[in-house]
Amino acid sequence: MIVTRSWLNEFIDLSGVSDEKLYETFNAIGLEVDSMEKIEIDPKVVVGKILSCEKHPDADKLNVCKIDVGSGIRQIVCGAANVVDAEYVAVATIGTVLPGDFEIKHAKLRGVESEGMVCASSELGLPETGKGIMILDESIGELEIGKPFGAYPCIADTIIELELTANRGDCLSIYGVARDLSAALNIEMKPFEYKQEERMKLGIARKMDLHTSGEMDADLRYKLATLQHVHSSFLIKLRLAMVKAEADNPLAEILAYATHTTGVILRMYDCASFCSPEEEKVVVSVEAHAEGIIHVHANGKHISIVGVSQSEESKPTVNSREVLIEASYIHPDLLAEAVVNEKIETDDLYYKTSRGSNSDLGFGLGYLAYLMEHNTEVECYEGSMDVEVEREHEKVLVDADEISDIVGMEIELSKIAVVLQKLGFDVTAMNDHQLATKVPLFRHDIKNIQDIAEEIVRIVGINNIPSKPLVFSEKKRLNETSSRYSAKKDLRNRAVGVGFYENISYVFSEKEVLERYGFETTDEALALANPIAEELNTLRSTLLVNMLQAIKRNVSYSKKSIPLFEIGAVFDAERTQTEKIGFVFAGQAERESVTNAGKPPVIDFASFVGKLGGVIGHFDLVPCTFENGLIHPYQSADIVIDGKVCGFVSKLHPSVQEHYDIPVTFIAEIDFDVLMPKHINAKPISKFQGVYKDLSVVIDKNIRYYEVAKVLNGLDLPLLKESYPVDIYTDEKLGENKSLTIRFFIQSMEKTLEESDIEHVMDAIMRALQENFGAELR
Amino acid sequence: MENLEVKIVQADSLEALEKVRIELFGKKGLLAAEFAKMKDIPGPEKKAFAQGLNEKKAALQQAFDARYEVLKAEAVEEMLKAEELDVSLYGTLAQKGALHPVMETMDKIIDYFVALNFSVETGGMIEDDFHNFEALNLPKYHPARDMQDTFYFKDGGLLRTHTSPVQIRTMLKEKPPIRMIAPGTVFRRDYDVTHTPMFHQVEGLVVDEKGKVSFANLKAILTDFLQYMFGDVDVRFRPSFFPFTEPSAEVDISCIFCGGEGCRVCSHTGWIEILGCGIVDPNVFKAVDYEDVSGYAFGLGVERIAMLMHQIPDLRSLFEGDIRLLEQFR
Ligand SMILES: [Zn+2]
Repeated sequence: MIVTRSWLNEFIDLSGVSDEKLYETFNAIGLEVDSMEKIEIDPKVVVGKILSCEKHPDADKLNVCKIDVGSGIRQIVCGAANVVDAEYVAVATIGTVLPGDFEIKHAKLRGVESEGMVCASSELGLPETGKGIMILDESIGELEIGKPFGAYPCIADTIIELELTANRGDCLSIYGVARDLSAALNIEMKPFEYKQEERMKLGIARKMDLHTSGEMDADLRYKLATLQHVHSSFLIKLRLAMVKAEADNPLAEILAYATHTTGVILRMYDCASFCSPEEEKVVVSVEAHAEGIIHVHANGKHISIVGVSQSEESKPTVNSREVLIEASYIHPDLLAEAVVNEKIETDDLYYKTSRGSNSDLGFGLGYLAYLMEHNTEVECYEGSMDVEVEREHEKVLVDADEISDIVGMEIELSKIAVVLQKLGFDVTAMNDHQLATKVPLFRHDIKNIQDIAEEIVRIVGINNIPSKPLVFSEKKRLNETSSRYSAKKDLRNRAVGVGFYENISYVFSEKEVLERYGFETTDEALALANPIAEELNTLRSTLLVNMLQAIKRNVSYSKKSIPLFEIGAVFDAERTQTEKIGFVFAGQAERESVTNAGKPPVIDFASFVGKLGGVIGHFDLVPCTFENGLIHPYQSADIVIDGKVCGFVSKLHPSVQEHYDIPVTFIAEIDFDVLMPKHINAKPISKFQGVYKDLSVVIDKNIRYYEVAKVLNGLDLPLLKESYPVDIYTDEKLGENKSLTIRFFIQSMEKTLEESDIEHVMDAIMRALQENFGAELR
Repeated sequence: MENLEVKIVQADSLEALEKVRIELFGKKGLLAAEFAKMKDIPGPEKKAFAQGLNEKKAALQQAFDARYEVLKAEAVEEMLKAEELDVSLYGTLAQKGALHPVMETMDKIIDYFVALNFSVETGGMIEDDFHNFEALNLPKYHPARDMQDTFYFKDGGLLRTHTSPVQIRTMLKEKPPIRMIAPGTVFRRDYDVTHTPMFHQVEGLVVDEKGKVSFANLKAILTDFLQYMFGDVDVRFRPSFFPFTEPSAEVDISCIFCGGEGCRVCSHTGWIEILGCGIVDPNVFKAVDYEDVSGYAFGLGVERIAMLMHQIPDLRSLFEGDIRLLEQFR
């Protein structure tokens, strides 16, 4: 919503209010100022009167004018075609500095002396009012020759753009904004008085019939008028340009101006579009189609839906001679709900009607009549044809204590009463601490005591409310979610500690890509209905695909080592949300440095897994049971934590690596839930010394260590505390076999070990390996 | 005997000194030979001879010890020197990664409210109309519910457009008093320089008996919170409108870039809009069947705060895993 200072001034005297104060007040009452622009015009730009205007002897497109600028008569050459229609104009006299540091000097144009410039609006920093120079008229005030143009308040105006919140339809007009200011600044509104001149034709009933059918939700008021010589004033054009309102003919300009001023929804229909010369009467029939949807027909032709749209043919043009004028009001909630439900197309005015327009139809029509009278030769038929709906005004009982509790400071009932009255509420005192209010229709957003409290807060001033800490009951509020957050934070910090960067990617992925790599996607019936882009058209079921994209981008930024991790939501086909942690590591395993002579090793399985361990703690690796297109079939594993498979680690499949055009990459994805910290009880520690023993055996090449470990872990040997592989060896002589060296730690809780104890353990181990794998001692 | 001391002093290595030691103090050394002469010394002179010889031995021992200390120190120094490194070559080897600035900002926000004994609550990203809109006083035809802004699923589900549904779920699950924050990922169907389809919010809610929770309380906590986040800034409250709070306000801080003088970041106003808040609308309480309660709520965008705090110019870069950005936060 754009307003201007001088326009507001028509309804509220702002002479004692500075622009700064205005800015502050708007923000304080919740009408956020988006921008504020003060128009400044060099005082050397003055009102001039064109005394004569002749064609330039040597240039077709130029005119030579004699202009009275108060201090004398100047000869000025003008290039604008419309100068021939002008009498009063704005003249930049010699010495004027125009915006852009353009100074007006004596000039010779094609041999003719020119002492100044006749100005177009944009040349003075005003918004564009149309082609050519400004043709001034008395709408800006009395035209005094030689008076500085900027001395007219409506010219050197302040243009203020307000960002209105969705509930403030009442401020979608100059009048409405002025009303809010009046309450905030404690300045009385100027009454708008208008008496139509005695130029009336016949009574309207002689020329028009009005029929209604169905339950009426809208207030309507119709007038009929005949017009001639329609034009709109310079002020109307200028102000519409200032508030960026569009209108393509003088009649539309007048309508737009009246609506912007009063907030009343006004439409005009060209009678010729529905009423043939033979038809004597305009017959308007108003039909309720559904709740909130009211169609208007004139002489059988559809002309509008109240508050929503108007048929193109019925819109008046410069040639319209007889017009039907309509003012309407419909409750915005009713209308908005109906329009959404019925999916009806809407026009520009709908923005105002759906947010709440002014229900004072008389004011709107009066203001329009006043404008028309000053700009056209108009004759109205006497009276109007009305549809009026009985409306219940919202009533709220306001208790001063309750308001004080909500706001958090003592507010007296009398103060509340004053604020509400200024805002246009009817107020009746009930007792010492309560009053009853009747909410005006234009504040349809106000329904309860808290809405009233908001009004009080706005006008009393939010910054005048003291801060007060809340006293709150003591209670433990740590819960599962907070523990999860702190666990997550620890984990993230560990990941950072081993060199990973935290990644955030969208929870969307591209369906086609997920499918290509064999990941599940949301079932069709549950799929995203309105994705924003092809590459974000489904919910992700893995973090890794998006992370590969991040690798690709980093490669393009010349990054050689790309370690990323992400904790985030993934969704299965049924759209169940779970949380996973993903790791990717591409390229160099470490930085280039003197320690690696500038040729760092590329990330490999062992160092990737080592880094993972630094983040998520101990895990076991067994052959991979996951299946997807990213996995390398011979360098991949299930990650087992506490006996449960909870994710996988793999080298990225070389064909995918090639497709993304990225260096060697390792990936892992793990269910986040299993990484939550667990309770641990300490085991007793032996006081006796233990021994390390190595055992080298020859076994079949294809036996995996996890199988060996399973056998070793299953042995009933209390003295065997730990075993782990330390060497693996193959050569031609071993053929289909390999040599495996395992280190054992043997220790007793009760005594110092004797040689025979150790032998017993090692024998048992060797026997088990022989029985299970046909192992032989090397 | 005099040149023996010279021999000690002239020994130029521990090995040379050891040779001197054997020559002097060894079983077959010079001193031993001198002492052996004792038996041939007549009784009355024996004492003086022994005393002289002991003094000589002590003097030699002292000279030897001193020389040994010197040579030992030299040897250690030599050994250390042999291990000398140009340590300045290795300063850049550290391989720490970095937390994402958005997540790190979220942590900082959560820390504040947990310290004030707020519980942390969470909820799913996929929501239904009731919890995301209806219960929050956003009826179907509300202007804030433009289809353009919300991601819908074919079965009518939607991606939550704010973390407010967590408030509703928590209120349905628990009884007042409630004091909670809900940090989380939210979605709007918007994608341009200043909008991403996904971003993060932290939402707060406090509910207690009717008459207890006021706008003044909201001012107190948010002012303190913003000064915790941004340091010594001015905090301004402006009336605003949200369907689920009434009265509502937007909160600004004095521009951290120009100190309120006006600059490009604050559009020359001196203020930066930072969060929205208000007193919970009675319709919200009605939707969860709460009676005789009062409460406040607030919500803030984590990306916006992170970008302001760290002067990150480009919103979209936050979702690209761009190491050039992330490595600055090591
Ligand atoms: Zn600034």
